[in-house]
Amino acid sequence: MRMSKTPERTVHCARRFYENLVPSCTIYDVECPDHLFRKFTDDGQYLVCFSRNHQELIVYRPTWLSFSCKEEDCDNHDLPTKAKRFDSFFTQLYCVSLASTNELICKDFFLYMESNQFGLFATSTAQIHDAPAVGGAIQGVPSIEKITFHLLRLEDGIVLDEKVFHDDFVNLAHNMGVFLYDDLLAIVSIRYQTIHILQIRDSGNLVDVRAIGAFCREDDELFLNSNAQSMASHQLPENLVENGLHHNQFTSENTFLSGIKQRLLSFIFRGLWNDETDHLRAQHLKKKFYFHFQDYLDLIIWKVQFLDRHHLLIKFGSVDGGVSRSADNHPAFFAVYNMETTEIVAFYQNSADELYLMFEQFCDHFHATSRNSLYMNFISSHSNNVHAREQLRSVKDKTSSSSQFVKKMLASLPISCQLQSPSPYFDQSLYRFDEKLISATDRHRQSSDHPIKFILRRKPYTLRFKIKPGPEGGTIDNRAKKISSFLFHPSLPLALSIQQTLFLQPSAVNVHFRR
Amino acid sequence: MGTNSTGMMMISSSLSTSSASTSTWASTTSVSASGKRIQREMAELNMDPPPNCSAGPKGDNLYHWVATIIGPSGTPYQGGIYFLDITFPSDYPFKPPKVVFKTRIYHCNVDSTGNVSLEILKDSWSPALTITKVLLAIRSIFTNPDPYNPLVSGIALLYMTDRAKHDELAAEWTLRFAK
Repeated sequence: MRMSKTPERTVHCARRFYENLVPSCTIYDVECPDHLFRKFTDDGQYLVCFSRNHQELIVYRPTWLSFSCKEEDCDNHDLPTKAKRFDSFFTQLYCVSLASTNELICKDFFLYMESNQFGLFATSTAQIHDAPAVGGAIQGVPSIEKITFHLLRLEDGIVLDEKVFHDDFVNLAHNMGVFLYDDLLAIVSIRYQTIHILQIRDSGNLVDVRAIGAFCREDDELFLNSNAQSMASHQLPENLVENGLHHNQFTSENTFLSGIKQRLLSFIFRGLWNDETDHLRAQHLKKKFYFHFQDYLDLIIWKVQFLDRHHLLIKFGSVDGGVSRSADNHPAFFAVYNMETTEIVAFYQNSADELYLMFEQFCDHFHATSRNSLYMNFISSHSNNVHAREQLRSVKDKTSSSSQFVKKMLASLPISCQLQSPSPYFDQSLYRFDEKLISATDRHRQSSDHPIKFILRRKPYTLRFKIKPGPEGGTIDNRAKKISSFLFHPSLPLALSIQQTLFLQPSAVNVHFRR
Repeated sequence: MGTNSTGMMMISSSLSTSSASTSTWASTTSVSASGKRIQREMAELNMDPPPNCSAGPKGDNLYHWVATIIGPSGTPYQGGIYFLDITFPSDYPFKPPKVVFKTRIYHCNVDSTGNVSLEILKDSWSPALTITKVLLAIRSIFTNPDPYNPLVSGIALLYMTDRAKHDELAAEWTLRFAK
């Protein structure tokens, strides 16, 4: 690493080996346990799986295929049948039950803390859609009776700590509601509009750091309560009576702005107030501010990510958009919030060119999940890869409406945590492939019977290898809709493709590797 | 990083549809005497707004306003931005408007739910008073609290006995809840 001028450059050179080391050999429909294969951890140490009944976590160690061949010219022989098994590639480390009486594992949720080899999993009870909005909950947001986050040591499957949320709603699909940055965890309670910041200690403890929402600083509530006590003890009787009257009449509407809304509104107002160069314009803007005051109040926190250890990128939108999956048509806003100074640093609408330009140029900053994760630098983005940028430009040129394009691009912000595979085969400076069929982003895709081609970016620009999910000869029933997912090992030429038809049949798992 | 005035300009186009629903009870009275009076006061306020004050109707409901008062410098409220809800009764100006703080404040004339005690909003109300005068009156309690007619006597007591401690606490509240 130290031999060349910059470590990044060395790694770039090393990655060129992946033009020659490719998972071109496929074992079709490998004999394997019927699990839900979730993910290789980003350090390649573990393959994380869940049992079909969503109760158990099964963890494997990826190993490299080894078998002996006594004959000459071994390379031309087919693999012995004994080697063509899942167990030849993966060794089961353990199987632990995470589910409890009513809670099942959320198969779409998993976060990995590489530095400590800790895994974060979630179990939950079923979602109640028409839950009444009690105790400050937001109307129209579903409720989950119990959500438990489990922190496990992946080495041996020991549960280190748990964090439970009751009658709350955290969007667990695709890690949307939770973001891990170094040892800091942000969990968004959509139902109670609170961003819970937790720290994962080396000891394996989940420690509450602060809750951002009703209050901004960690001791605001304590401060308020201790003040209220001293204030109330001196209250005069006649005033109490008067207050009582007020209370009965107005308690339902007399609520203070939440801490985060006060910060947001005062930030917007300050901008207008200081921008008073043109009197008429300023007056017009203020009028607009008041006109939309209620709309600002009605905005809810949808999603959050860390930009660094102090700054959060918070997306605000309407209640409808926060719960539905396609939020494109709902107005949305982005705020950059410094949780140490409790200040809003910036505020944008989801069609803001300024934010888009930053996203275009500094995309990798939005994707950082640590101060020092090297492999993240190699996930191709339009900011670090000329091919990805060209692709983006061509999409941009094709779109008729620039603001629609900006909205569409900004819809991916805040980014979901750990959803991209660092595998070198997705490096767009090495390979060209159809992003509709496969990409670094972890998600299910509709699959066709045609193999997915990985074509060299550099000379001789030829097809280097193919990944074909599903049975070798294709499926018999071509009408059935097939869904594929791909798990690529972060450094080995090893991948799993999992193809499923929608009718609860066992999935067809293929192992792709280099012979 | 960003300027927020652009954000402001853009909110109008996307949010204007949702605010229509708040207008239900204003429309019937929009031609009434109270409505005309409020409109006139709005024009007057815009012509000559009191320093550090600003206000305007919330949505298209003429009877429900939001006001902003910037904490005056030289007071412990300096640096704070205070939002207030102002509700005009249908028989305005014969009855006073109701004013409630939406931002927490440590003040002997504002109770723990944000209600303000101000003589001119109660017995001393006169139809000759206007929203500009009300804003001026509220602004004046930032600089001169009235500890003899308190809503929170604990704060009033501290104001009179240990002004330094009072100001320190009030400034702490400003920092925590009104920034």
